[in-house]
Amino acid sequence: MERECCWDREVIELADCPEIGAGEEDLLVSKRQRNLDKCSDCHRFLTDLARLSDENNPLAPILTDLLAEFRHQKTQIQSLVSFLDNKTLEIRFLHELGYVLQSSVDLDEVLSVALTAITAGKGFGMNRAFLLLCDREDGLLKGYLGLGPRNLEEASRVWNEIIQSDMDLQTLAQNFRLNKLSSERAKFHDVLEQLTVPLSNKDHILVKTLDGKRPVLVEGAFQHPDVPPELARLLGVDAFLAMPLISRNRRVGMIIADNCITHRTITEEDMHSLETFSFPVAFAIERASLYDKLHVELERVTEAGKKLKEQQELIVRMENMALVGRITSSIAHSVRNPLMIIGGFARSMLKNSPATDSRRTFIESIVAETRQLEGVLDEILNYSDSLYPTRDFWDVNQLVETALHDTADVLTAHGYATFYSPGIDLPHVYIDFKQLSNCVRTVLHNDITGIGADRSISINSQCGDDCVILTIEDRSRHISQAELDHLLVPFSETRELGAGLGLALCKTMLEKQGIPFVAEAEAFDGIRYTITLPTRKEEQT
Amino acid sequence: MSRLLVVDDEANIRLLYSEELKDEGYDVVTAASSAEAIEKLQLGAFDLAVLDIKLKNESGIELLQKLVKERHDMPVILCSAFSCYKDDFSAWLADGYVVKSGDLTELKQEIARVLAKKAQKLKADV
Repeated sequence: MERECCWDREVIELADCPEIGAGEEDLLVSKRQRNLDKCSDCHRFLTDLARLSDENNPLAPILTDLLAEFRHQKTQIQSLVSFLDNKTLEIRFLHELGYVLQSSVDLDEVLSVALTAITAGKGFGMNRAFLLLCDREDGLLKGYLGLGPRNLEEASRVWNEIIQSDMDLQTLAQNFRLNKLSSERAKFHDVLEQLTVPLSNKDHILVKTLDGKRPVLVEGAFQHPDVPPELARLLGVDAFLAMPLISRNRRVGMIIADNCITHRTITEEDMHSLETFSFPVAFAIERASLYDKLHVELERVTEAGKKLKEQQELIVRMENMALVGRITSSIAHSVRNPLMIIGGFARSMLKNSPATDSRRTFIESIVAETRQLEGVLDEILNYSDSLYPTRDFWDVNQLVETALHDTADVLTAHGYATFYSPGIDLPHVYIDFKQLSNCVRTVLHNDITGIGADRSISINSQCGDDCVILTIEDRSRHISQAELDHLLVPFSETRELGAGLGLALCKTMLEKQGIPFVAEAEAFDGIRYTITLPTRKEEQT
Repeated sequence: MSRLLVVDDEANIRLLYSEELKDEGYDVVTAASSAEAIEKLQLGAFDLAVLDIKLKNESGIELLQKLVKERHDMPVILCSAFSCYKDDFSAWLADGYVVKSGDLTELKQEIARVLAKKAQKLKADV
């Protein structure tokens, strides 16, 4: 028999076998390998086998059966190799994805990776994906993020960009997070808004799928009895995949994926692949959410720790204050009572002694000295009281009105008129209310010792930069700036000016609170006091 | 004639108050402690009490609270050596507050004011 095929030759030339191509030259010298790899598909070998059959060779039918079985087995092996190759790729992809998901605790990063993986050609290759998250507090399944093109034109542009840039999945996700997360959220804002479903709506297909904890491949969405028409219209596709995200038996959210541009059929295989992928995604989302909550709680704990430290410092200060309080209280009673008794009886004697009594001068001296000592005692006690201001936010207009009300009787008795122009919508000021009230009252009382003809006091409050400026203008007093400055020095000889420690104490009290107190004479027809009150806590020094 | 109860642990202060307030036309009874004050209150009615905020080993504020609870129709004026007590919330229970001074004008004015207010209230109730 003349043979057409080279199957029985040990060594052949390239032109002898039509099945051997470039790069397969090693088969030219290996008969066995050539027979196994090429002969079963070679028409020349089949022709030789037919001739063998024609010659009634008894081996011919056996060889034909063996060849058929061999080809069948070979096809199956090729199919299995292809399947294994696909699975290897899938495992590599999931490994890459899992690595990214496990290494991130940033919710946006996790979501970016998840949606990129679903929509990227190197991933699951779906056209579009929406992520919905469970809001347990509001009892809603809420549309949170969407990714994918809205039309063919956008799809062509984006997909071309991706192909040209040839980025891996992680880079794609990072790129999406940094450059497109906000714009994609805005782009799908309308869809995401309408993708919100109450978790209590148990008949809704999305809630039902979530409760069922199994993915659902919806086909024929527009006619599907379980799909609300508004959902089908909103997605605008006939087929979509609803994949619940479940972590530790808890409902985390859902991914809706579709092929809205290519309309490629979503297969069962797609669904199973995505289902495998959904577990690490759900876990990563839940972990990132918990991390966010943990972060918030940590901030709260840090803040609470800071407050606790402040409270501890306050307690120490309060102990100091209590000590000062006990000392001043003790001084007050030890000195005040004898002074009161001496002064009181002196007044009583003065009242009951005849005008001609020669001792009246002595008694009057006692009355005057005790009065002065009482004044000094008041000032010392007030000074000690001012050592530890207790500051908080207060309405300055309310404070001025209260001070005016408290001093109204005295001012009226001295023929004074007060004019108050309160600032509108003033912010609250950070002050020790009691001390500032005391200062305003002291300034007002101080003013009535004036001797000018214009017996009017104007008060004004207005908003400044991070402050409220309070000005008190008294036109009844005419003194030089030097005399006024002297009044602001504690324990200076100022009695003849009629003010004593009052203004100096005010200045000290306010400066202890970091509040500037400026008294100006000469430049005005009287005295102008300017008190700049902070509106922010950190302004304090 | 209005009847006043003066409570102060200092004998000289009680004497001073007593003399001065009698000159003003009041019937004055004095007590040196909370216990004595309560005893005197059980013996007869008073129109007003003048109470020192700091009695020897006791607090005038506690006596004030007791008086407000049991004798709510009798106004009380608190006297203290230090104005800071004015900021004690408990002191706000009193009808008047005066810082002690050898010049009793403020105390007398406060007594007259509180009594007038009480009389006005009684009139309105009738």
